[in-house]
Amino acid sequence: MNRLQASIDAFLNWIEHVWGKGPTPDGQSFSELLLGSLNFWSLLEGTHLIMLMLFAGTILVVDLRLLGVTFRKTKVSTISDSILPLTVFSFAFVVMSGMGLLFAKPIFYYHTVWFLAKMVFLTLALLNILIFHGRVQATQDSWDSDETPPRAARMSAGASLVLWTLVILCGRFIPYDVYQCGKPQPDWVNWIQQCKTSEKGEENMAGQRFDAQMWKEKP
Amino acid sequence: MSDGLTLEHIFPQAAAWVEGLATTPLSLFVNGPKFGYASWEVGHILSLILIGGSTILMNMRLLGAGVTQEKPAEIYRNLRWLQNIGVIGIIVTGILIGSTNAVKLYNSSAFTVKMIALLAGIILTYGVSRPLAAANGVAATMQKVWFAIGGAIFLAGLWVLCTSVLINVGVYHIITAAALILVAVTRGRLRWAYLAGLVALIVAQFVHTHVIIKPDDYDHLNPVNKVYTVLYGVWLVGTALITIFRGRGEEGGPLTRTMAYVGILVWVLGATAGRWIAYQ
Repeated sequence: MNRLQASIDAFLNWIEHVWGKGPTPDGQSFSELLLGSLNFWSLLEGTHLIMLMLFAGTILVVDLRLLGVTFRKTKVSTISDSILPLTVFSFAFVVMSGMGLLFAKPIFYYHTVWFLAKMVFLTLALLNILIFHGRVQATQDSWDSDETPPRAARMSAGASLVLWTLVILCGRFIPYDVYQCGKPQPDWVNWIQQCKTSEKGEENMAGQRFDAQMWKEKP
Repeated sequence: MSDGLTLEHIFPQAAAWVEGLATTPLSLFVNGPKFGYASWEVGHILSLILIGGSTILMNMRLLGAGVTQEKPAEIYRNLRWLQNIGVIGIIVTGILIGSTNAVKLYNSSAFTVKMIALLAGIILTYGVSRPLAAANGVAATMQKVWFAIGGAIFLAGLWVLCTSVLINVGVYHIITAAALILVAVTRGRLRWAYLAGLVALIVAQFVHTHVIIKPDDYDHLNPVNKVYTVLYGVWLVGTALITIFRGRGEEGGPLTRTMAYVGILVWVLGATAGRWIAYQ
């Protein structure tokens, strides 16, 4: 386990500090260039948030129709066919800008509990979409015009609303340093964040510290 | 180019009151719990999402895109309550999180832009877009009056954003939003011509600012980027004008479509300014 963690950290270290670095000692990696850019990183973060307005705003309307709350007189297919292209389009932007943000600080994100939780909820939300399209939507013709769709559709829509809200919540909590490697914190937090192999090391509530050897030999 | 207009410039006599806000019970209530501030921020973002989804879909319908199978009045009827929750939510959570760092906001031109955009957004949504959608795109005199007022306030906010150092780059969010709206609104050959021009501009700007001029040569980069910003603006406004006057939406005329464009962009301006408070 520790060897796997060390390999992951070595890879993230390579991305953040080595990849793209020129031969000169003051050269910067691609990741450092992105993070240190005058405006690009800020634009990327702003784009991530603004496209979230469109993405989550449109998925919300589709979910509310599936719950039988809005557009009850309109066919479900009418709402989903005309709104989901906007959702998919904006999701592509959210993912691309999110990947850029991750690329700029991969070590920090990997050792942050909120980011890890966000990825878990994101995966569950995507699985929920797959289940909806694979199973629930298979019978849509029979309930397309129903003001209140069947239970399975409502469950899927409810799960979608909850999961995307959690994704947003965890994403917003990432910058806050309540749980941060290197600070004294409960063992379970250190374990989830894998602080032992992080750049800032691990410290438990009793004040015991552990610093990974690889960061002492950082290039 | 200046540091930008701040509330300190507009209301200098409020300085002492603003400084005292950090110790009010409201501020202590927000900052007290471990995740207090962050939780209210999440509420702020969720409110913004409610506004985003409802406003974009309602105005897109007026532009002849989105849920075109339903009349604009039906879209309005179904989305107005979401919009109300979003606007109330953004004001309440904004007051709560704003009270904890009032001094910073008081001295921030990004916050000034955000407040201008909020005022314009409320006027343009409640005075223009909603009644316009409810009337299936037919603009009455009152909507024209409110559009003149709200539109002027929106342009004032955009002007402050464009002329304030450190936050003026945020105008690229408005450009991006406008560019994406046009992708949805344009059709056929116009869409392809529009996309070709847009891609050409992006490639030209990249080559100009990364190959011809070195990326760290700010003295030369800044004026070049400003020229490209104007070129993007001209390209987008030009394409938008074609869609406005050749519009295929059966509801409303050119004025209705102009109102719909501004009705979306005003909230993008508010969100942009809100995000750029952190970078100033």
